[in-house]
Amino acid sequence: MIRLLHIFLVDISCLFFLLSCQHEEEVDHHPTPYFFDIPMFYPTELNIPDDNPMTVEGIELGRYLFYDGRLSGRTDPDSMMSCATCHIQANSFECGIDHPTFTGGKTFGLSGKPTPHTMLPLINLVWNSNGYLWNGLISGGNPSPYHQNLESLVWMGIVAPHEMAGDTNRTKALIQSIKGYPELFAKVFGSQEVTVDRISKAIAQFVRTLVSSDCKFDRYMRGEEQLTESELSGYILFTTEEGADCFHCHGGSGNPLWTTSLYYNNGKDSLFTGEFEDPRDRSHVTGNSSDLGSYKAPTLRNIALTAPYMHDGRYKTLDEVIEFYSHHVVWSPYIDPLMHHVSRGGVQLTPKEKADLKSFLMALTDTVFIHNQAFSDPGGL
Amino acid sequence: MIVREGGLMGMRSMLVVMAWMVLTMMCACDGEEPESEDHGKIIFTFFHRVEGEPLQIDTMIYTNAAGNHYLITEVQYFISDVILHQSGGSGFLIDDWTDIYYIDNDIPSTMTWEVFDKIPAGSYDSVSFMFGISQEKNISLMFVNPPERDMFWPDVLGGGYHYMKLNGKWLNDGMSQNRPFEFHLGIGQIYSGDTIDVNDITGFVHNNFRVTLPGSSFQMTTGDTVHVAVSMNIEQWFTGPHTIDLSTFPFNIMQCQECMRVGCENGKKGVFTVLISKSKEQKSKSKTNF
Repeated sequence: MIRLLHIFLVDISCLFFLLSCQHEEEVDHHPTPYFFDIPMFYPTELNIPDDNPMTVEGIELGRYLFYDGRLSGRTDPDSMMSCATCHIQANSFECGIDHPTFTGGKTFGLSGKPTPHTMLPLINLVWNSNGYLWNGLISGGNPSPYHQNLESLVWMGIVAPHEMAGDTNRTKALIQSIKGYPELFAKVFGSQEVTVDRISKAIAQFVRTLVSSDCKFDRYMRGEEQLTESELSGYILFTTEEGADCFHCHGGSGNPLWTTSLYYNNGKDSLFTGEFEDPRDRSHVTGNSSDLGSYKAPTLRNIALTAPYMHDGRYKTLDEVIEFYSHHVVWSPYIDPLMHHVSRGGVQLTPKEKADLKSFLMALTDTVFIHNQAFSDPGGL
Repeated sequence: MIVREGGLMGMRSMLVVMAWMVLTMMCACDGEEPESEDHGKIIFTFFHRVEGEPLQIDTMIYTNAAGNHYLITEVQYFISDVILHQSGGSGFLIDDWTDIYYIDNDIPSTMTWEVFDKIPAGSYDSVSFMFGISQEKNISLMFVNPPERDMFWPDVLGGGYHYMKLNGKWLNDGMSQNRPFEFHLGIGQIYSGDTIDVNDITGFVHNNFRVTLPGSSFQMTTGDTVHVAVSMNIEQWFTGPHTIDLSTFPFNIMQCQECMRVGCENGKKGVFTVLISKSKEQKSKSKTNF
């Protein structure tokens, strides 16, 4: 009887302890909703998951984590890595070609393993509704719950050998131990517990705020600034089939994201099997051979900042890219019909037209974006 | 005490007001959703066919009237201003918020259009629609979201949106490599000179055209759902008044008004056909067994 009473009292005390703990962990959890100011002509449909609504506190936490090298689960300066190690604001949150570590824009992970493709910039992704990465592997249509959205990309970045090569338990434990983080997690999620799911959600919230909408061409569209004659000629070339014919894949005034976010074989190569096979092209996601050699059309916004170019970084300069589209497009059975100029090797621009097209592309550089303090390193906790 | 009395009176009054409001709302709700006695609904379903068979994309199995073998990769187009024509010349314009509808063979949800509008009961002689977007509604920047957004037609070429993108590849006997083609229709340009220079554009041509679907009469009675199955018969774009030989026809035609004129004249003849059927709205009645 005494034993039973003892068990009962222990149970009751445990219950009170649990309740009191719960009470202690409960914090004033009223995160402030974040409202997007959608720029003129931009899509009104935002890709924000229902289970990760954007909040001011969530974005703040995500910004700290984005720039924190301890996200890799390590504290040694030589082996710390954050999102910002490679995604650099000055380069439109891409690595850029002049990185001191990642020479020529060729990135590699903490394991030393090279990343399979060159980077894609982290801009305007709140409007991306058609998959992430060059092949669209991360997509709402992917049956795997780990390959769905921007949040999935953060998780992947922590564990992938060619990125942080981390361990989620180490990352969780380390972030949990850093003074300031548990309090921020509590403000966002209601408790101080650090989980990779929460880390991913917070960083994804921050990345969704990285909006670029103030390049010279934006101001031209808003009637605030005039383009030069060369830039205007370049834009006309960009949007005409008899010119450079870029707009079907890369947008234009009607699509200020400067990409359709769709996948195309743009005629860089003629062979795609055997030693030429890329196990990470679009066909390996869809299973359709017609997608061999297809990759996402990247945004051309800030394109001047994001060399090297193409999925494999084969072109170092915009001049090389323009030269390719002008004279070196090659046929394969898989080339996209939009690359119809392949019958004459490309769009055959004259030297002046190439210069005009380049001038226009430079007008897509958003210097306001790359200097926006809200996107910069907030300093460590 | 006065305060207390006033409080009680206030509560009593509030209860009366609340009861009145509830009764009013119930009456209003009854009035807002009257049982329909004089209308039905209409559902459009879009099909893409070649020689009467469902389109198989990315497959070089078709041959057009000129003898070109061809395959199709994308079919994307707008229809607008759908009118259900009644006897005596009157007609019912399907508004459905926008009266412009986008169809895309890569997006299954676009292939069925369950029209919001309630269709008045009566006898309808035919169904017609504008292929593309009518001139006054074809305004640049009106679509900011994909997929419609990606149909934009460059302003320098007339602006607005593509009426259609029909992309594919063709191959003639004896050729080792197929060739891409883009059969894009939209606003055409008139150039003053012999060269295609946008600085020489002197005018624009709105190539949209009205399609009256043959054999599209139907009777709408109360509670009917009329199913309008619209087929685009793709081979007809390359034949009809004009036989288009892809080996000589330009592989891109956005800046070739003559090419678009030829394409549209073919489009008016036999590209679109229709099959109409009806079903009666099934009203489910809940039944509980104890």
